[in-house]
Amino acid sequence: MIKLALYGKGGIGKSTCTANLAAAFAMLGKRVIQIGCDPKADSTINLLGGEPLQPVMDYLREHDDDPNSIGEISKIGFGDILCIETGGPTPGLGCAGRGIITTFNLLEQLELFEKHKPDVVLYDVLGDVVCGGFAAPIREGYAEQVLIVTSGEKMALYAANNINSAVKNFEDRSYAKVRGVIMNRRNVENEEEKVRAFAEGAGLEVAADIPRSADIIKYEDMGKTVIEGDPECETSKRFFALAQKLIDEEKV
Amino acid sequence: MKNVSKIIPCYSADTAGVCSALYELGGMVVTHDASGCNSTYATHDEPRWYDIQSKMYISALTEMDAIMGNDEKLISDIVSAANDQKPEFIAVCGSPMPMMTGVDFDAIAAEIESRTDIPTFGMHTNGTHSYIEGASEAFDYIVKQYVRECPKTEGSGVNIIGMTPLDFKWRGTMDAVKGWLAENGLEYVSCIAMGSSLDEIRRAASASVNLVVSSSGLAAAKYMEERFGIPYVCGVPYGRAYAKAFAEQLKGENGGAVRTADDADTVIIGEGIGSVSLAAALSADLGISAKVICPLTCGDGILADTDLDLYAEEDIEAALSDMDPKTVIADPLYKYIVPDGTRFIELPHFAFSGRCFERDMKDLINTDIKEYFK
Repeated sequence: MIKLALYGKGGIGKSTCTANLAAAFAMLGKRVIQIGCDPKADSTINLLGGEPLQPVMDYLREHDDDPNSIGEISKIGFGDILCIETGGPTPGLGCAGRGIITTFNLLEQLELFEKHKPDVVLYDVLGDVVCGGFAAPIREGYAEQVLIVTSGEKMALYAANNINSAVKNFEDRSYAKVRGVIMNRRNVENEEEKVRAFAEGAGLEVAADIPRSADIIKYEDMGKTVIEGDPECETSKRFFALAQKLIDEEKV
Repeated sequence: MKNVSKIIPCYSADTAGVCSALYELGGMVVTHDASGCNSTYATHDEPRWYDIQSKMYISALTEMDAIMGNDEKLISDIVSAANDQKPEFIAVCGSPMPMMTGVDFDAIAAEIESRTDIPTFGMHTNGTHSYIEGASEAFDYIVKQYVRECPKTEGSGVNIIGMTPLDFKWRGTMDAVKGWLAENGLEYVSCIAMGSSLDEIRRAASASVNLVVSSSGLAAAKYMEERFGIPYVCGVPYGRAYAKAFAEQLKGENGGAVRTADDADTVIIGEGIGSVSLAAALSADLGISAKVICPLTCGDGILADTDLDLYAEEDIEAALSDMDPKTVIADPLYKYIVPDGTRFIELPHFAFSGRCFERDMKDLINTDIKEYFK
């Protein structure tokens, strides 16, 4: 099973990359689960035709009781991808990190992996590894590899470096390892050099180079990933290539 | 409000279950919690505290440690204490605050084990579950870690699993159980874990049957059945006639005593396996038909169809009101939610009322129970 967590600076395109990667895996014949770990709960919206999914935290708030089945807290999206959103507390209150842990405990209790038997699980995680809750997706039993999404912008690279350091702090534990960087281009000056310099300095591979593309925005406006909207375009090809690379590595 | 106890207390928490389960086994139990005072886990819920030494520690978690996620302080403190104390194993338990900050006890245990070479395990306690869950996880770990294949005993060897002072009177119970086994031609192998030791438990696979005396022992018994092919039987040999019939069941010679609860006018409230066994003993020894209300986690198939698993005070109170029993047998603190005019027989339960009624705890194993219940 391929288990990936995508981290990166807020607004850098993690959800876009995660959903497109999930869609690419699905079109390559894989059984995929995508779990959005962000209180905004919009990670999977473009796999669901632009329709939001009720997050787990909202379900718990509404019912004041645990669900009895995965079906009550998930939706099936494009390519039969099982979509789940952790959601979070009322903005300004509570503890979002704790919400992620609670959701993960619940998914374990509902035997998500045993029952759904996925080939690929993708965790789309809020911004940075700010506390224990946001490190939950990289703990033993969850993601095994981390992909850091960054552009060539200074603050995106700064966040990428922080994430890489945070994951390294857990080297003594059986946590996920950083697999590489997804360069999500913003067309800033010398972007490729800056991202490659960071990656080289951190000993990481640039696993994918996603061009700045109007197609992404066009299809997101339609509630779709670019993979669904135009699987033949260059952007889609890059996501397919990344998915295939990860599948090939898994076989090895 | 659902699940709020306004009159009765709640049962001992999961952390107390771990401490009680591991108390006599020579390990070090560290609860990651504030204050530095371990009386909640190890004194109020622990009758052995003044008689038997045990390595029970609290980490003295501070606000800043919680905010900063200072796991290294916890790890280095435990490593330092372990180097001094040389425990057989280390158990690290969670409490409410680490639950909120998402402390990863499995990862912390792995780091401690790599630095000390002492078997270390993280307990997934958080103070919000009952002692059954905590003790169950601790027993499960101990059995997986220490029980290994070994030659069978010549006779019918028996392990007692799920025994702690939270459910059974500390003084006298194990003598009574051993006497009952001997009287019925059964051989005592080990007790997991009251009045026993880790060395004794290491030989547990030499037994031919496991006797599960509380729900705390079910997970360990299921593991031993799967791993070593040792079947298990659930029950406590209360009374005389039932104790005799139950011994035959343990030897696999018949189906044991049949308990009927039709037209029952007696209700027993308490831990599942103990209460069902008492109901069977009342039926076999005294011809009394009783139903059980179990407010704790109980394994599948333990309770009869006529029994109830109810957790909330309001549900228990309502059920008692509906049943309108002539007699209720329960811990003394339950008497305040029993309908007026109901005969109430006190059966102190340490996990419910702690030391309050310790001296009134009853000896019911393999003995005449008429004086208490008739």
